[in-house]
Amino acid sequence: MSSNSLQSKLAAATCALLGTAATQPASASDADAWSFDSSVLYYGESDDRVQDISAAVAAKRDFGDERSLSLSLTADTLTGASASGAIALDRVQTFTSPSGKATYSTPARDVPLDDTFHDTRFALTAAWTQPLARLYTVSAGLGFSTEYDYRHLGANLSLARDFNKRNTTLSLGLAYSQDDIDPVGGAPVPLSQMLDVGDGSNKLGSDSKTVLDLLVGFTQVLGRNTVLRVNYSYSDSSGYLNDPYKILSVVDPATGDTIARVPAAGLAGSSGVYLFESRPDARTKQSVYAEVKHAFGKPVLRGAYRFMTDDWGIDSSTLETSLRWPVGASSYIEPQLRYYTQSAADFYRASLVSSQPLPQYASADFRLGEFDATTLGVKFGHRTGGGNEWSVRAEYYQQNGSVPGEQIIGHQRNREQYPDLSAVIVQFGYKFGL
Amino acid sequence: MTRRIHDWRAHLRGVLLCLFAFGFSLTVHAADSLSLERYRGKVVLVDFWASWCAPCRQSFPWLNELQAKYADRGLVVLGVNVDRARSDAERFLSEVPAQFEILYDPEGELAARYDIPGMPSSFVFGPDGALVAKHIGFRNADRAQREAEITRLLSNAAHD
Amino acid sequence: MKKLLPLAVLCALAGCSSLGVQPWERDVLARPEMSLDADPLDAAIDDHIYFSKEASSGGRGFGGGGCGCN
Repeated sequence: MSSNSLQSKLAAATCALLGTAATQPASASDADAWSFDSSVLYYGESDDRVQDISAAVAAKRDFGDERSLSLSLTADTLTGASASGAIALDRVQTFTSPSGKATYSTPARDVPLDDTFHDTRFALTAAWTQPLARLYTVSAGLGFSTEYDYRHLGANLSLARDFNKRNTTLSLGLAYSQDDIDPVGGAPVPLSQMLDVGDGSNKLGSDSKTVLDLLVGFTQVLGRNTVLRVNYSYSDSSGYLNDPYKILSVVDPATGDTIARVPAAGLAGSSGVYLFESRPDARTKQSVYAEVKHAFGKPVLRGAYRFMTDDWGIDSSTLETSLRWPVGASSYIEPQLRYYTQSAADFYRASLVSSQPLPQYASADFRLGEFDATTLGVKFGHRTGGGNEWSVRAEYYQQNGSVPGEQIIGHQRNREQYPDLSAVIVQFGYKFGL
Repeated sequence: MTRRIHDWRAHLRGVLLCLFAFGFSLTVHAADSLSLERYRGKVVLVDFWASWCAPCRQSFPWLNELQAKYADRGLVVLGVNVDRARSDAERFLSEVPAQFEILYDPEGELAARYDIPGMPSSFVFGPDGALVAKHIGFRNADRAQREAEITRLLSNAAHD
Repeated sequence: MKKLLPLAVLCALAGCSSLGVQPWERDVLARPEMSLDADPLDAAIDDHIYFSKEASSGGRGFGGGGCGCN
């Protein structure tokens, strides 16, 4: 399976552990012992890239006196492909598939995409929350996810303490996860060349990575209508952090075109010199997140900002805002806007130049490049007479990247340098109690 | 002479009516005092609650039970509602009925005077009017202990 | 927000209890839409999507706000 599952989903599962095992505040309408939140989501990128359909159910059982058990199950199926990191050329390009058993091709002038894949993933989380003493809340959780080339197992623990008549809350969270990666065809030796069909000499077996997350949180009631949250997060990953399916094109220093390659006699294989990417085996991230919610009478405005920096040279800023506007007595409409910008990793390279020495680390993965992304969305929800709520959300996500001028060589100037991405997201949700 | 006596009685009736209306409006519309003097000799449990407070939903059946069980032994349960809008309190009461007296404190004057430390808050006053206990929050696990505290107070009152 | 943020941080450091509301004034904060953890499923889905397309993730945390009951 491609880039989409590996780092992405795994680390997402880890980080999500600290966020979603959250205590739901008691609301006077909760009379049911069990409450459920379900959703069905469709994610589709333009140009027939990745398409994902997922279904999730989260259940919470209230045992009274603020003790609760939260469970969630998510299943999603992913099809399609994302940019592999190779550059577009004026001719057809052929690549050896990750399994090493076949080849796939990219038409002339198209941005090469990974080999098309189908993958189904299942994820399970469980968390127990209870008070330790009147002003202390503790929560412990486990997470597990599996797909055909990846398995994740994680645990988390958090403690929160209230101050100032519960106007101030300080929280501390710790999460640890162990992920096992078993790429199709085996993990390739970093910066080794893509070989012919049947040649697995540069492929190793499976690998693993561990992630440690620390979160320090501060929540403060600012007024009768306003609440603020500020969080500091620290994350340390080590082990196999590469995407085993991502490659870089090795190009001619004058023309900027990929160096051609001829497969061995009688064999099929890649038509150019492509190297598998190489990332450091450790990554430290730090982020500061601030969120404010303010009620202007019935409507509620939310604003959030997150700044992230890591030792790979990536800095990012995220700005989000949404306005929940009541419609009638039991419905609401909520427009949402998100703006994201990130700088490229130190070892991000659009392509490798054949005349230059090979760097220690290099990746052309668009997710490590410099780009801006905007999400425009709207959510509509309605509470039924029985106290259940259904909702529908539609979003449009657009990513626009750029490659540093000095990395654009020769003919690359005339082609799409960065695989811009746009996607549509549609989600149906239903909350109910039993 | 007769006219003056008549006038005096009319005046008194008027004054009493005003006092009654004033006193009545105090208890129905806003409470700025618990007027605990009227409960001297009884054990009083004052519970500050609101429609938006989930543990209050759990506490009402227990408070109803206490009031029913110990009313003839001298227990008075008073619920003080701090909702800003009476309609919110009434909606809550239609879902979770109260079989004890409710006072309304929409401006939070009583809440401020007693400096309630959390929601819900319960104050237990002895028969002499002195504050005996203060409970912050409502937990099912504490019910037995809190009931024991009340029965102890009621027994002591009975022996005096 | 720019003025409130350093103020709130200073308050936490100074341990001052003047910022906030009285326990009986949390009616608006008790509304589900005022919870900072409202819609945890939406948040998890968003985080998952963005993590698979970008280099950053998470940061949201848990706890605090709401009705402040018990």
